[in-house]
Amino acid sequence: MVPGVRSPSADRDTVFTITALAVLFLTVVAVGIAVFYLGFVRGDSPCVMCWEQRIGMLLISLVGLFVLRYGPKPKYVGMAVLIAAWGMLMGLRHVGMHGARDIGQGFSLEIMGAHTYTWALFTYWVCVLAMGALLLLVRPNQLNAGVRTLTTLERVAGCAFVVVVAANVVQAFASTGPPPFMGQSDPIRFSFNPKYWHWSAEEWKPPIKLAFRGRWAVDKPDLAQAIADPAKGPIASLTSLVVKERLHIGVTLDSPPTDFAYDAATSRFLVTTATGVYLTDSTLSKLDRYTIVDAGYSVDLGRFAGVAFLDKGELIAVGENKSYVVLKPNDKANADSNFRYFLASRDKFDEVSRLRFGTVRARMLYIMSAAYDPASSSVYTVTVPNNVAKRMVVSRFDRKDLTLSAEFVPTLAKESGLTLGKDRSLGEYMVTGATVVAGQLYAVSASFGTLLTLDLTTHRVVSAHVIPGLTKPVGLAARGDDLYVVSEDGTVNVVARPTKPAVEITLNATNKH
Amino acid sequence: MEFLNLLLILITALLVLRKPERERAAFRVLVVSTVLMIFLFTLATRSGILPGLNY
Repeated sequence: MVPGVRSPSADRDTVFTITALAVLFLTVVAVGIAVFYLGFVRGDSPCVMCWEQRIGMLLISLVGLFVLRYGPKPKYVGMAVLIAAWGMLMGLRHVGMHGARDIGQGFSLEIMGAHTYTWALFTYWVCVLAMGALLLLVRPNQLNAGVRTLTTLERVAGCAFVVVVAANVVQAFASTGPPPFMGQSDPIRFSFNPKYWHWSAEEWKPPIKLAFRGRWAVDKPDLAQAIADPAKGPIASLTSLVVKERLHIGVTLDSPPTDFAYDAATSRFLVTTATGVYLTDSTLSKLDRYTIVDAGYSVDLGRFAGVAFLDKGELIAVGENKSYVVLKPNDKANADSNFRYFLASRDKFDEVSRLRFGTVRARMLYIMSAAYDPASSSVYTVTVPNNVAKRMVVSRFDRKDLTLSAEFVPTLAKESGLTLGKDRSLGEYMVTGATVVAGQLYAVSASFGTLLTLDLTTHRVVSAHVIPGLTKPVGLAARGDDLYVVSEDGTVNVVARPTKPAVEITLNATNKH
Repeated sequence: MEFLNLLLILITALLVLRKPERERAAFRVLVVSTVLMIFLFTLATRSGILPGLNY
């Protein structure tokens, strides 16, 4: 026996027995299955993130060996907690890449209904739980117990650890290679045959630039970022519309308007603010009713960016984040039961539904407009550019279930005679207001003060016009043959609605034969 | 690099199991190995260190 080393019987203790079992479990079950079964039998190669998660588990097991040999000293327990905390971040980071995909989708192998990275997150979580439980069992005299002699169980745990790590060394050499080569994002299948080994130093390639949220760091839309000057727009040589009339919203709003719509059937305007919904008369001077929505109740509505009249007397207000609320005016609304939905004027509307629009091409892009097309019973939204992506996507949601039914990225119609400048795109337009009339989506852009006309059948921009003197437009409504464009300061510019170009009409008529 | 890190872990385990009197050296290698793991994960996820989710 080594001098100063205490006898095994004196050290046969619950803490060490549990630690040895934990080391065995983590080493053999978690990492052992990964390397021997998934790796050597099924040919699975860990990606670079999986490798670090696996190594983190081995490091926690290794700290367990330190505890078995030297006692549960604070520095060892602290080290294990630090590694487990980092491991949970690694697991969450990895799950974050795939966790929200469609059902059953994921990366690499699935074990018992979950992919390996999900098990990694779970394993680290169990480690933290186990360490907390073990600390409850530690006695003060165990903290500086000197060098312990290992029991049989502890030696088995140590041997198992060495075998599993050695197997990982073999797999790591084959899969990732010696330094400076390292793990890969998309590793190829494991093989013992060197002919199939692929070593990569891809991860070292510049730019070595740190970002916390990466492509998720999308700035919210900001009107102040819009370039008002039409001459700087992506489409060259646009003709201007004539402003027929200039009005002003006459009702008092709780904050600047964010969109508006017009309903010909009831001759009413609908105006939204950040969280307010206002119904006015046809002159925008008399308030019919209003409410302030509690945007933070349940579904986070954010800031209203689009509004439209729907059928059945209902209306929809859509937030920048594509979350929406459907409201219905009701003179007999119960203010008490509506307490949860509205912050003010709770007896004028009922909330019908509150949910989120799901999109595909428009994902990761905010919107600043919404429109309703009674002919197709569809709600439309148009994305706005941001600091990460500049892409205009028009999304259509079926009225029945308010679920995505179609999406398209508009292009310029050849017949329009419009041309894009070099390296310019329609994605630069910041559409802040939209309305649909007779199969045409009219979209006003805060950037470059431009009105775009999109044909909803051909998905093309068929015309574009400058609205002179337009400053920070936030909404667009159609009334008769006119379009009403409201600005952030409450000014409303009235212009004649551009009609469908004759060449388009001819083209469509030809196609029908 | 993972190969190197696993070798370090193997060496540390052998020190703890076979040369327990080298406690300080073993712990130092453990720290180096942990830092290397953190560095490599950060390198691999440098374009978005935090999980890609809504916060």
